[in-house]
Amino acid sequence: MNLNLEAKKANSYDAIVVGTGVSGGWAAKELTEKGLKTLVLERGRDVKHVIDYPTMTKDPWQLPNANRLTTEELKFFPVQSRMGVSQANKHWWVNDIENPYTEIKPFDWIRGYHTGGRSIMWGKQTYRLSDIDFSANAKDGYGVDWPIRYNDLAPWYDHVESYIGVSGRAEGLAQLPDGKFLPPMELNCVEEVFRDRVAKKFNGRKITIGRVAHLTAKLPHDPNRGVCQSRNMCDRGCPYGAYFSSNASTLPAAARTGNMTLRPHAIVHSIIYDETKGKAIGVRVLDAQTKEEIEFFSKIIFLNASTLGSTFILMNSTSNRFPNGFGNGSGQLGHNLMDHHYKAGAECEVEGYDDKYFEGRRPNGIYIPRFRNIGDDKRTDYVRGFGYQGSAGRENWNRGVLEMSYGEELKNLLTKPGTWTIGMTGFGECLPYYENHVSLNKDKKDIYGLPTLNIDAEWKENEKSMRKDMMDSAAEMFEASGFKKVETFDRAAHIGLGIHEMGTARMGKDPKTSVLNKWNQVHEAPNVFVTDGAAMTSSACQNPSLTYMALTARAADHAVSELRKGNL
Amino acid sequence: MNRREALQKTAMMLGYAVSIPAITGVLNGCQATPGIAFKPVFFNDDQARSVEILSEIIIPKTSTPGAIEVGVPSFIDQMLKNAYGKQDQDEFLQGLADLDRDANEAYGNNFTSCSTTEQETLFKKYHDAAFAVPLAKPALGWWNPRPADKKPFILRIKELVLLGFFTSQIGATQVLKYKQVPGPFKGCIPFADVGKTWAT
Repeated sequence: MNLNLEAKKANSYDAIVVGTGVSGGWAAKELTEKGLKTLVLERGRDVKHVIDYPTMTKDPWQLPNANRLTTEELKFFPVQSRMGVSQANKHWWVNDIENPYTEIKPFDWIRGYHTGGRSIMWGKQTYRLSDIDFSANAKDGYGVDWPIRYNDLAPWYDHVESYIGVSGRAEGLAQLPDGKFLPPMELNCVEEVFRDRVAKKFNGRKITIGRVAHLTAKLPHDPNRGVCQSRNMCDRGCPYGAYFSSNASTLPAAARTGNMTLRPHAIVHSIIYDETKGKAIGVRVLDAQTKEEIEFFSKIIFLNASTLGSTFILMNSTSNRFPNGFGNGSGQLGHNLMDHHYKAGAECEVEGYDDKYFEGRRPNGIYIPRFRNIGDDKRTDYVRGFGYQGSAGRENWNRGVLEMSYGEELKNLLTKPGTWTIGMTGFGECLPYYENHVSLNKDKKDIYGLPTLNIDAEWKENEKSMRKDMMDSAAEMFEASGFKKVETFDRAAHIGLGIHEMGTARMGKDPKTSVLNKWNQVHEAPNVFVTDGAAMTSSACQNPSLTYMALTARAADHAVSELRKGNL
Repeated sequence: MNRREALQKTAMMLGYAVSIPAITGVLNGCQATPGIAFKPVFFNDDQARSVEILSEIIIPKTSTPGAIEVGVPSFIDQMLKNAYGKQDQDEFLQGLADLDRDANEAYGNNFTSCSTTEQETLFKKYHDAAFAVPLAKPALGWWNPRPADKKPFILRIKELVLLGFFTSQIGATQVLKYKQVPGPFKGCIPFADVGKTWAT
């Protein structure tokens, strides 16, 4: 055996997983538990659960500058700071100077490069898509039809929810299927009033507690994870492992099998395609520390590098077979970029309930499932719909700046909470537009000398029309509930800020119009699976992470089954 | 025009209700600038003392510690140096300079050398005037991040004092109530069971 073959053997695995976020962690867990020797490649540094959460127990007075970044620190985060980077979480966001991209139109690309990815900083809202979502494209003609329906994914939603732990309340709605829930978190007093009045005035319209990947009860199968303590310091990493992250949940499970090799600082920049075998045989890695180029080989490859990360790798993987990007015979690679639009809604004051309060910082809020363009509700001004997220609370000390008092009077006043307030924003579906797309920019390189992305996307008329209704319908519900000083708002955030970027390698029935098949396999290279947000054929209006996880578990099951049959 | 007349004229121009005792206090001479309780990294000593005085007017020592005792002036000094851009820094210093200018016009002294009553009178004048224009309320939640507005200087320092005070250990735990580990969320309980505003 020559040296090359030796090296190749040492770098060979059954499977390679690229990325360690919500979907990568699931690919790692499922593939290793099914017995595959799996190499998990993470482009950033390693982050060990609890050990590498430096700010997780810091009190407000232990964070410099009241948790604000210094002007010097802000220079590294011109993009990430659009979301809000703080002293408590600054170590999770990418350095924008080292990781550039080009905004052909404004696009907020919020990223975290480290083991666990954005599963450390995510919002934990966890919802199923329904058949109303899976059939939406076919029904109104935007985009292409999903190649799957709810029944295809339902058992995998069960599988994922049962493992990660999702608290929520079953509501029996067709548009928001119930799942395997841990006990729901409580609504506060005013949220209960709002729920009851809206149900009465709007023909049973539901307001429910957010369904979230926080443990409200222990998981017998994962005793290392504890119950949520309502600290609401989640974005620092949770010492209890109470919310789902790859670091707390799936990666430890993968490690326990003994089948996982996790390699941080490994930037996958392309897939190796063997022209003679007619298949993908591995990936090319640039070691971020040594700058060494390394090739790794495997029978199957899972791309879970985040929506635009995975699409970047596909676009950057050219060969005689794929001159325009890997698996891009359809010409759809990079196109149909979506996100959720939000920060349009209403807020108001609620009189009374001065003798009521709450205890704990609930990392969750209310959820109003979509009610537009469902059943008898038909809008003429836009298609699809939105859900609402928000919460009620009582004004705290920060109302003091606008109090006319000062001195002892103000100090005394602020020791008591102020008026109850409630507010919410819609989270709206974004249509898949071909022209919302990313492309490779070979002129602008990152610090590793790799090409970068041009992002060219925007909200269009359907989203803008929907936003008006997101404001009006929120105000209507508050007013009907008897709440005061109702004000609507539209902060018109750029696309990207939902941090739900989706699409760009969509699933579909037809290889001529889609990149992936119904099992998330690249149509033209079936041993390559893309199971993160890139696969999404439509965006629905629900927070998407659960769907990425379910798609991943389903694809991993199919991959191993096909591998065993000798089909891959 | 003698000093008393000048002061009264200025006071009238500015619309101050300056009491005779207050004016008398000024005429009776300056007070020495007391030493400041911290070593400033951004302000000069005079500015630092002004910030101390203003902080304590906004949140005084009562049965619980006040702004100076919990270190708010030093917090503001650090914030200005580390977390404020040049323009915001300049505007803040201009605010302190304006205060001295008005103190001199009204009382013939820099702000720090005015009597306690004069200082509070000046503060109140500024503070009342700040509410003449519409002001953006603090955000109620993540869903509606309000764009930062340009608050008048007096409200910017008030905002900083409240921020520094209520995120301090004493402010959060003695004046308000704080639990790092609250335990499972209780959604609807009698206020009496808590008794105070949650610090966070």
